[in-house]
Amino acid sequence: MSVVLEVRGLGVRFGGIRAVDGVSFDAESNAITTIIGPNGAGKSTLFNLISGMIRPSSGKVMLRGVDLTGRPPYLMQRAGMGRSFQITNLFFELTVFENLRLAAQRLETTGRFLLPVRRSERALARVHELVERFALAPKAGELAGALSHGEQRRLEIAVALATEPSILLLDEPTQGMSHSDTADTAALIRDLARDVTILLIEHDIGVVMDISNHIVVMHQGRKLAEGAPAVVRADPAVKSAYFGHA
Amino acid sequence: MVDINVVEAKGTARPKRVIDRLGLAMRASHVLVALFVVAALIFAAVGVIQDDRFFLRLGTEALIFAGLALSVDILLGYTGLLSLGQALYFGLGAYVSAVVLKEVPSFWAAMAAALVVALVIGFLAGLIANRVRGVYFALVTFGLAQVAARAVYNTRSLGASDGLIGVPVVPIDLGVITVMSNSPAGFFLFTLGFIVVLYAVCAYLLDTPFGRVLLALRANERRVPSLGYSTRNLRLSAYVLAAVIASLSGALYPMLRGFVSPELLFFTTSGNAVITVVIGGVGTLAGALYGGVILTVLKSVIGSLTEHHLIVIGLLFMATVIFLPKGIMGVVRPLIERMLRGGKR
Ligand SMILES: Nc1ncnc2c1ncn2[C@@H]1O[C@H](COP(=O)(O)OP(=O)(O)OP(=O)(O)O)[C@@H](O)[C@H]1O
Ligand SMILES: [Mg+2]
Repeated sequence: MSVVLEVRGLGVRFGGIRAVDGVSFDAESNAITTIIGPNGAGKSTLFNLISGMIRPSSGKVMLRGVDLTGRPPYLMQRAGMGRSFQITNLFFELTVFENLRLAAQRLETTGRFLLPVRRSERALARVHELVERFALAPKAGELAGALSHGEQRRLEIAVALATEPSILLLDEPTQGMSHSDTADTAALIRDLARDVTILLIEHDIGVVMDISNHIVVMHQGRKLAEGAPAVVRADPAVKSAYFGHA
Repeated sequence: MVDINVVEAKGTARPKRVIDRLGLAMRASHVLVALFVVAALIFAAVGVIQDDRFFLRLGTEALIFAGLALSVDILLGYTGLLSLGQALYFGLGAYVSAVVLKEVPSFWAAMAAALVVALVIGFLAGLIANRVRGVYFALVTFGLAQVAARAVYNTRSLGASDGLIGVPVVPIDLGVITVMSNSPAGFFLFTLGFIVVLYAVCAYLLDTPFGRVLLALRANERRVPSLGYSTRNLRLSAYVLAAVIASLSGALYPMLRGFVSPELLFFTTSGNAVITVVIGGVGTLAGALYGGVILTVLKSVIGSLTEHHLIVIGLLFMATVIFLPKGIMGVVRPLIERMLRGGKR
């Protein structure tokens, strides 16, 4: 196992509060690293810092040994970062097919950018692969806005994955899902981890303990603890700060 | 996972080809533009038989303003940017063309100049306008056009408030034939061809990954960066493309009329172009052509009956927005799409 993502002393301040404060951890290849913590702990903000949507005021982000700190999100994507959003963030007035095709078209050579879309064969093949894998094939021709919540959450992951990232950041993919959808999605993520490194934010503690290889616990912007699921579960500080309230 | 496999099995039982809705919509636009061209050719034939000048020249003017409307549709319909100052580029093209033609009566020189100037000014103004979004973008584009209009209005060497008159008749050498800009039917047909080429360029570009990301920008700008695209560069590219289309259309204006005036840069010109697109159908390209004809004809016909033609156009605009929010194409194009899909469904 090799380290794909290195986060070192990452921090940002919003006005007076330190939303994320000196957080460091590694994400290893083909493993699921999960960030947990109570509401407002700074998990989504941490993702925004890693994916370039917010500029960090301190710290470093390294992807496969390359320092990407401070790059804008579109360059982060090109460097191999894919991410999904806590609040579903799709092209609602476009079809499922088009949502995925748009995401997959980065796989094509630059020359294809100004050729008709039907010439982007690689992107189209990727879309067909993804609709099968995410059970969206019967819905491919429908508008993303017309899907059920569960389907939209699935598409959200598929869009992030379409670009074949080297690390996939998933912000609460099971948010608002029914119990059985949550279980399906957890299995799907487990399956995805065979090909891609995953950094996950997840609230369902059962899912977290079940699928994570490594857990980072956040509290009030800081890293409280990290380790294997069993280690984290036994940590007294984590118990009081997190499980204590659950 | 079990659940997913079941759906998958059902889905693959009979693999259904996914319809690329956007590609289909674009092909429907092509059909509508083909119909438009046929109608225009019939119109030209009737005009020639009747030895008409007035209607052929009015038709030519309609086509020229349709070119301006095309540029508005690229921004509004495909990129989600409302420009209230597209007249800036239309007027720029018209003035550049007039100035060049008065020096050297060469069609291609005038076009080349209009192209280069639009690229340069479009890029610079685009850097300014694209610093802001939404309403502010509309206001900045409006402001830029106002500044340009005022500058021209106060420049003696550009004819100030009178504009530039005495633009000579130009021969348009197309290799096989030469069209004179004062031949009503000849110049009408040339303009028709020219606008169809502009349409084809826009339609081609909008059906490439580049064009589709512009649509993504319109649909949800916030997600675009995580697909690996700089939203700033995309918006700037769309803006420059629209500037070029507007400028090249405007460059034909002095060839038709023999003069240019500052009104070409005024808000009425920009506003009419937006109204044209809304009446024709936003985000269809073909709507710009149909809307251009409708608006120009209405302006002329109603304008000859009453001085208050702006009231009529305003009412028509409101009626369209309320009763046909997707414009004429919003009603017609889905029918063509269904036809194109034919028995496949
Ligand atoms: N753009 C912003 N400006 C100011 N404060 C912000 C901003 N974004 C987040 N915050 C604050 O930073 C803190 C961390 O928020 P964040 O969304 O990262 O938490 P989270 O761990 O993802 O919570 P949840 O589990 O509810 O998603 C919160 O107090 C939040 O109010
Ligand atoms: Mg969050």
